[in-house]
Amino acid sequence: MNRFTLKESMIMKIHYVTGLAAMLVVAIHILMRLISPYNLTLQYDHVILNYHNLLYAAVLESILVLISIHGFNGLRIILLELRQGMYWENGVIVATIVAMIAVVLYGTRTIIIASGLGL
Amino acid sequence: MERVEYPYNRKNREGLKGWLNPFSYGWERFSYWSQRLTGLFLLVYFIGHVYETSSIVNGLDAWNMMLELTQTIWGHLFLIMVIGTSTFHSINGIRLILTEVGKGLGKPSMPEYPYHPSSLNKTQKSGIWIALTLAAVAMLYGTNVLFSGD
Repeated sequence: MNRFTLKESMIMKIHYVTGLAAMLVVAIHILMRLISPYNLTLQYDHVILNYHNLLYAAVLESILVLISIHGFNGLRIILLELRQGMYWENGVIVATIVAMIAVVLYGTRTIIIASGLGL
Repeated sequence: MERVEYPYNRKNREGLKGWLNPFSYGWERFSYWSQRLTGLFLLVYFIGHVYETSSIVNGLDAWNMMLELTQTIWGHLFLIMVIGTSTFHSINGIRLILTEVGKGLGKPSMPEYPYHPSSLNKTQKSGIWIALTLAAVAMLYGTNVLFSGD
């Protein structure tokens, strides 16, 4: 094991911490939909206003990062439980990391543009 | 040259069939299976949600077109499923974290017939029931919000 390899016990701790943290920020995200009439919160102007609130944009970014780490690590765990072998395990790890980065980048692009930071 | 075999028997590798085998289900097995299925479902929803909300950057028309697709009865029913699965996954996940740190596992004891595992005690079972009950309550609340529009 080289010094850049995370121990599985450490990865599981990250999995639990990201899961618990995601619960908190997702609760804020849901509350933002419930403090006004639900249909009103989905109107274009209302959503854009949400994105322009930098604190809320930071909450959205944290949801994106936390759920991506938690979700793709969960997928990695399931796939490694189903099958083992050097090529499979390395392939699964690389594929889940690449997919996680792709989702985070795509979501971050939306947050940056919609919040007006990219203009 | 003799072929080198893996150190385990490939016949014992059940894969997805073993994972979804409905026979001999216990509460822990149900919880294990549900945690993974709800997790996969939520990951698919999350990726779809990230894609769906990206339509905001294309302006009002693109956003309204996306809303027309999602704000339907089927879209609401799908969201109610998301509410239920995310609640179950969260509460059952907390139970699993507590179990991992040794809470609610019971005391170790000598194995005595009929060999009930001390780990699958009332605390664990009630944790699974609490997760299911809260998921049902959240789904009812979500139904009220989505279909009343408030």
